[in-house]
Amino acid sequence: MNIQKTVNGTTLTVKLEGRLDTTTSPKLEEELRGSVGGMTCLVMDFEKLEYISSAGLRVLLAMQKIMNRQGEMRIKNVSETVMEVFEITGFSDILTIE
Amino acid sequence: MSMIRVEKLSKSFGSLQVLKEVDLTVEKGERIVIIGGSGCGKSVFLRCMDLLETPDEGTVFIGDNELTSPKADLNRIRRKVGMVYQGFHLFSNMNVLDNITLAPIKLLGLPRAEAEKKAETLLEMVGLLSKKYMMPDVLSGGQKQRIAIVRCLAMEPDIMLFDEPTSALDPTMVGEVLATLRLLAKQGMTMVIVTHEMAFAREIATRILYFDEQGIYEEGTPQEIFDAPKKKKTRDFIHKMKYFFWQIDDRNFDLMQLQGNIRSFAGKYGMDEKRTNRLQLCTEELIYEMLEHGQPDVGVDMQIQISFDERDGCAVIGLRSRGAQYNPFEADTEDEIHLGVTILKNTAKRLDYWFDGVNNELEIEL
Repeated sequence: MNIQKTVNGTTLTVKLEGRLDTTTSPKLEEELRGSVGGMTCLVMDFEKLEYISSAGLRVLLAMQKIMNRQGEMRIKNVSETVMEVFEITGFSDILTIE
Repeated sequence: MSMIRVEKLSKSFGSLQVLKEVDLTVEKGERIVIIGGSGCGKSVFLRCMDLLETPDEGTVFIGDNELTSPKADLNRIRRKVGMVYQGFHLFSNMNVLDNITLAPIKLLGLPRAEAEKKAETLLEMVGLLSKKYMMPDVLSGGQKQRIAIVRCLAMEPDIMLFDEPTSALDPTMVGEVLATLRLLAKQGMTMVIVTHEMAFAREIATRILYFDEQGIYEEGTPQEIFDAPKKKKTRDFIHKMKYFFWQIDDRNFDLMQLQGNIRSFAGKYGMDEKRTNRLQLCTEELIYEMLEHGQPDVGVDMQIQISFDERDGCAVIGLRSRGAQYNPFEADTEDEIHLGVTILKNTAKRLDYWFDGVNNELEIEL
């Protein structure tokens, strides 16, 4: 999976490309935890995210908890495939999806 | 001595000859599964074995007794054979317990108390003891079929015949009936089963009979018939079923390679993107649920089998995992630890779990 980060003021935008599964999720979590300090807005761009499993959802949940304390987290450009997983797990009600 | 011996059995309906000089011997402990296309005569053959259909020619022996002899005491000989039908055939005016005890009391002369005690033991075995006073109409199809199986078992048959026991069931109920058949197999029951459930046939059978051209066209072990059928029509039939296998023996196995192979498998047989994604997702969730919660302290020995039926588009993921008993489908899905189980429960049409004393077996149908 490819992770591309852009910082603009206190907004961190993270573009993901590829698959967020049990193998790749630890890397994303490590990258995010090391980057969100001082940020008030985390934008996750899923335009090129092809797949997500429960391991990826757990990372999103962990980041959502962190960002709830220091600002907000938004997810944009969610594909139909990923949205289906959000819907069957109820994550579509928890996350802010644009 | 064989349990059932069929010799030169023929059967026609009008000018249509369905079976022609079919021979079969069933030995004790064998689990014979009959497969074949619609109208190939497999159900007719099964029914002829219990004389529910009268053969035009040929003989049927149950043990030493010839069932087809004009002098045969049919009721006495048939007691050794239990028959389970597609449509349950329970008496709707009797409760579950009475359905089960009727024949043992009337035909075997068992005292009511003894028949009821035996019925309760059998109901407990299939997990339906709490339903003993219920009327059949309030039970689900799967429960009715399990009761029908128990009713046969109450007569202590030597052999059981199953005529498409899951065909009339809602897909969500197939699993519970198949689990009951697995239980009987484990207990060593001799069985002849007509079914369209190919993955189940492969798993449970000691011998597969493929019916075509008015009889047994090809027979062999599940491996012989499913993996290397010799004759053309068997190949054409079997090759409508596609299988994918994967062995995992290391916690750090290559998930990406597995997912890539599942994608190739799905693509090869024309599954669309949505189905492919679900197949990958459910496989991953099943594996990690078992790796993380089912095998904390033991080495990994896990097999994945995906079957895809080209005829109806049905895909089934099976996972066998050696280790302590753990049923992920009973996990608390309120917490995020078991998010994978939530995904499985909300994606699959059917979820099944059983434990054979050594292996956890999971099966989900998409």
